[in-house]
Amino acid sequence: MATLFVMQGRDKGKRFDLRGDDITVGRDSSNRIQLNDSEVSRRHAEVRRTPEGIVLADLASSNGTFVNLEKIDQRLLKNGDRVQIGRTLFLFTDADDRSSVNLAHDIDIVGLGNVEGSRILKSVSHESGSQLFAPPDPAESPWLARARSNLQVMYRTALAVSHTLDIDQLLSRILDLIFEWVEADRGCIMLVDHETEELAPTASRNRKGVRVDGKLSISRTILDYVMQHKEGVLTSDARDDQRWNPEGSIVKLGVREAICVPMQGRYGIVGVIYIDTYTPPGQILQQRAPNKFSEEHLKLMVAIGHQAALAVEDTSYYSAMVQAERLAAMGQTIATLSHHIKNILQGIRGGSYLIEEGLKEEDNEVVRRGWRIVDKNQERISNLVMDMLTFSKDREPELVPADLNETLADVVELMQARAVEAQVQLVFQRRDDLPQFQFDPDLLHKVVLNVVTNAMNACEKREAARVEVSVEYEPGERFVHIVVADNGEGIAAEDLTRIFSVFESKKGSRGTGLGLPVSQKIMREHGGDIRVESTPAVGSRFYLELPTGVSAAVNQTLLP
Amino acid sequence: MTRSPSVLIVEPSADEREVLRTVLERRGLRIWEAAGVERGLELARKHHPEVIVLDADANRSGNESIQAEFDATSTDQHSSLIVLGRISRDRSLPAGQVIAKPYHFGPLIHKIEQLAGKAA
Repeated sequence: MATLFVMQGRDKGKRFDLRGDDITVGRDSSNRIQLNDSEVSRRHAEVRRTPEGIVLADLASSNGTFVNLEKIDQRLLKNGDRVQIGRTLFLFTDADDRSSVNLAHDIDIVGLGNVEGSRILKSVSHESGSQLFAPPDPAESPWLARARSNLQVMYRTALAVSHTLDIDQLLSRILDLIFEWVEADRGCIMLVDHETEELAPTASRNRKGVRVDGKLSISRTILDYVMQHKEGVLTSDARDDQRWNPEGSIVKLGVREAICVPMQGRYGIVGVIYIDTYTPPGQILQQRAPNKFSEEHLKLMVAIGHQAALAVEDTSYYSAMVQAERLAAMGQTIATLSHHIKNILQGIRGGSYLIEEGLKEEDNEVVRRGWRIVDKNQERISNLVMDMLTFSKDREPELVPADLNETLADVVELMQARAVEAQVQLVFQRRDDLPQFQFDPDLLHKVVLNVVTNAMNACEKREAARVEVSVEYEPGERFVHIVVADNGEGIAAEDLTRIFSVFESKKGSRGTGLGLPVSQKIMREHGGDIRVESTPAVGSRFYLELPTGVSAAVNQTLLP
Repeated sequence: MTRSPSVLIVEPSADEREVLRTVLERRGLRIWEAAGVERGLELARKHHPEVIVLDADANRSGNESIQAEFDATSTDQHSSLIVLGRISRDRSLPAGQVIAKPYHFGPLIHKIEQLAGKAA
């Protein structure tokens, strides 16, 4: 499916599905894609579905529509295109893009023997490959030594930026690397704030042992120059550099030398990296010291700035995606829970209404019916809350040596009345040769109750409906299995993997979609699991696996 | 002797069906019940009820053609249709005949009685 994902702008993180025909993009609410961006026209552009693919057309907007930085009237979009509308930058993706070809037809992996004359001449490990970037040999020519040193810096920069998805950590690593390589006294990375479009300091550091008075003040003159010209600058000595007015901020701030480079990304400048050497303002005119920064440093800093910018863009794109997924999941969770609560509330209102009617007409039978409905829904909301709590928290089950037969018999006894009402034969095959096992009886009771309830729902209204609870156990085995078998409607193969996913329910308004996920979680907290075998129209068998290993040390006495 | 008006309740919740059935039967209306839309449609075609109360959640498969058939059947048979919950934007029903959830039973029952009375 084709989507537009907002990478920059106030709607950052939103994803718009391009389903249907002729989707307009604009500022007012009549647009399918409404943008919170004052530089977007009321009806700015239109996404059209054509036989060739998805076309973006500008609707005579005031500020224009851009694809990959080029102003367009109309353009067929390709996977990965960047669409700029006002201050909002989108990434276009299309899973069905026809330009993606299946390379499996063009590329074959064959045995070595099939290719005439192919043989391995030399192999190089990762470690040997990295030696290319080892510190230069003093005997090498200065040019080669410098080239190798630069290559090493870039290699280490590439490694540094590839290892993190945390922007603060990433920028701090970049500064560490720069300080290892050049004798700067102070350094700072500033990123462009997308709301204000102003540079905001994001990371800074000073050279160890260098005393810097007060806070780091960065010259607006330098920053403006770098941002406007999109060029890195080196000031070899601020007092002598013709570009800077002697009365300007550089000289006044005590900056002797500085390098400032843009962080040029794919979609624009994301920030700047700034380093300088510092002399207290009172001494700047007296002191003359050899320069620490060279043109070579500037070139390499520009390259580092570019690498860092690409990493910042990727990280911020990834963070926006994660955030969008989180919000979507949270929205889905809230919507599902609200739906369940609404149904329960509806049940309570219905029951209360019957009670009221019964009291008005002095009819106890109606009052009783109403109360039964209220009571049932009270139980449903209590179960929902308990399931939510169990699902949301990790907790250790309180393992005690316990009698499995007793727990299972309790569940069957509890459900017997409902089974009779639903015309389901509920049977427990007791095993009298079971030792005690270590489990949390309350939690296991909850799991078995969940699974038995599901089994009864699955075979309710079927002929000769039957649910059987039994135990499979062999001494010496790692697990004891509680088996809940029904001859109900069964589960389709494609649904078997989904039934343990949260909020997946096939019981309509009766199910919350929490029962099986919660049961599976409880069994896993016990070190076991739940498995299911099912044949549609024949029935299902749920196996609740409980570890027996911990029971070795406890009482192995057979129960009477 | 004239037969009393009938109401078809298409509602997946057994509790809500029970509440409506109990109260409406006591008011002299005949009741047909279905938990899903497919069965509901069968009953609507067979019994031609004066009022159909359709819970949007009853269409669990989300099959829009069934909903459209419901609309068509109720129109053909001059049955009044009340939809509980949300309906898709492109469906048009007379104002007041879509009741959002959670609703109060008093006004709903009053509405059903009104429509059934008008039909009778």
